[in-house]
Amino acid sequence: MKSKTMNIFKKEMREVFRDKKSLSMMLIIPILIPLVVLGMSALFDMEANTDIEEYNKVGIAYKLSDDEKNLLKEFNIDYQEGTLEEVKKAYEESKIYAYITLDDNKYTINYNEESTNSVLARTLSFNYLESWKSILQTRYLSNQKIDPNIVLNIIFIESVAEDVTNNFFGEYITGYSFLFIIMAITISATYPATDTTAGEKERGTLETLLSFPIKSRDIIVGKLMSVTTSSVITGLLSLALSLGSLAYANNAFEIYKDINIMPSVDTIILSLVIILVYSLFISGICIAIASMSKTFKEAQSALTPINFICFFPGMIAFLVNIKTNALIAIIPFLNFTQIFNDVNGGEVNILNIILMIVSSIVYITVIIWYIIKQYKSERILFNS
Amino acid sequence: MIKIEHLKKEFIKTEAKNKRIKFAAIDDVSFEAGEGKVIGILGHNGAGKTTLLRMIAGIMEPTNGTIEFDGKDYKHNELEIKSELAYLSGNTKIYQTITPYELLKMCCEFYNMEESQIDKRIKEISKRLKMDKFLYNRIDRLSTGQTQKVNIARSFIHDPKYYILDEVTSGLDIISSQIILDFIKEEKKNKKCVLYSTHYMEEAENICDECIMINHGKIIATGTPEEIKKYTKTSNLREAFFALIGGNYEE
Repeated sequence: MKSKTMNIFKKEMREVFRDKKSLSMMLIIPILIPLVVLGMSALFDMEANTDIEEYNKVGIAYKLSDDEKNLLKEFNIDYQEGTLEEVKKAYEESKIYAYITLDDNKYTINYNEESTNSVLARTLSFNYLESWKSILQTRYLSNQKIDPNIVLNIIFIESVAEDVTNNFFGEYITGYSFLFIIMAITISATYPATDTTAGEKERGTLETLLSFPIKSRDIIVGKLMSVTTSSVITGLLSLALSLGSLAYANNAFEIYKDINIMPSVDTIILSLVIILVYSLFISGICIAIASMSKTFKEAQSALTPINFICFFPGMIAFLVNIKTNALIAIIPFLNFTQIFNDVNGGEVNILNIILMIVSSIVYITVIIWYIIKQYKSERILFNS
Repeated sequence: MIKIEHLKKEFIKTEAKNKRIKFAAIDDVSFEAGEGKVIGILGHNGAGKTTLLRMIAGIMEPTNGTIEFDGKDYKHNELEIKSELAYLSGNTKIYQTITPYELLKMCCEFYNMEESQIDKRIKEISKRLKMDKFLYNRIDRLSTGQTQKVNIARSFIHDPKYYILDEVTSGLDIISSQIILDFIKEEKKNKKCVLYSTHYMEEAENICDECIMINHGKIIATGTPEEIKKYTKTSNLREAFFALIGGNYEE
């Protein structure tokens, strides 16, 4: 049995490596991952390092003192002083991004919440006014012959960032790069799975194969092994390119300055386990679906939703920050992306990983049993 | 010897307004095929020839009836029977991205041949079918005749006892057809049992020792071509066939 399975496996692998489309699916998809990692890093970097000159234009609708003018200069605020009508007009013409009005001792910052530059101008104005308030408080206390330090600094507040290895951008980018590995494996599995089942049926070689003294079980296991191998190659290549691009991004972009976004060795080892189990699982699913199709095109259409199903549960869970529990660990598709994210975030829960592996083995066994049954069904074999 | 008894195959077809009905593609077919004989399975397209041969080749299960090869059946000896037969059909194709050598080696492995014997056997076959010049070229770059030679080679690489050939000359040019007919004649001399289906009556008359004529899944005549012609009082199998179906041309 073993040698027959290996013969089928050899035959299928030979076809995968000689078919340009299968080969390109296996090797080209992972190349997109560095583009995503580096592209997103560049975008975040640009966002985080927006030049102050782009948003520091603020209107002042009251008479400024010399001290206020000096402080505005210190804050690098390019202010425009005038009447309320004048600054409003300038604001409407987008010459300034926010304007401040004064009523008695109440300062109001007017800005547009939907404009990034306006939000940034509001923050700058707020900080300036906080500083101006502090100056006025100090002056008042000095005039009253009270040491301002005693009153204003009666307590000290300090924030210390203990976890300097993680930051929002780092988690976001690594999280997405790992989700893309899952997607790359899925896309890579669909083509050879289609070719080896519906394609073989359409080309007329399945009838030839069935006439050999080989059991359906050997044919299916051989085919499953070849599609899994192809997916694992894509997964490993994707992981290598993902790590490579993260390492490059870590050094090339300022948002990652003093932060290490590279996964640990443990994370990489567990990622390899997830890649292996997921490749086996998705290959079985793809072969089962494609086997039921009459033609290559029909199989491709039937498999298209799989590309979304593999990705979206994980993406939604990632965005709303769902925590993995025992139930999620056995839900197909969601468990892989969720545990992949956990492992990547340094949260290793062995029980969840075991549940994911065991449940996947159960699903794979059921899938293989189902496909073997299909390969004895005339409706499946001769429906073309 | 191949012994077929009361073979029946039913399918379900959908008629108008989703009405599903059972119909017998093969109905109560019995015959025997001995060594050194070419048995022709004759009938028009849709008569049931392919279904019959697929069941005999073990890639389709009968609804009723038995198929025995020297007393062995598929239920208990599937792999053993398949190791001794060659199935070649006009519908079956061969892998395009590999070379004839790789295909033949793969087939030898499927038939559990000794590693040391494989190269020797491929050389023998290659010499016999004059395949030396293209043995290491990719199959998708071969001519139709060369591809057909490769297909024949893969079917008898394991020196089978039984041949099940289903409309293998259908759609082929005169040279490619002749390659197959010559091959069948040679294997007959080697005491092999050949089941040969065709809808070309002249071809059957030329090559078959015995003929089984099928219409709507049922045997309508059996015997040597001479016996059938004598029985129907016709001068060839084509006329005999029309005499037997009585002008009923419906597929």
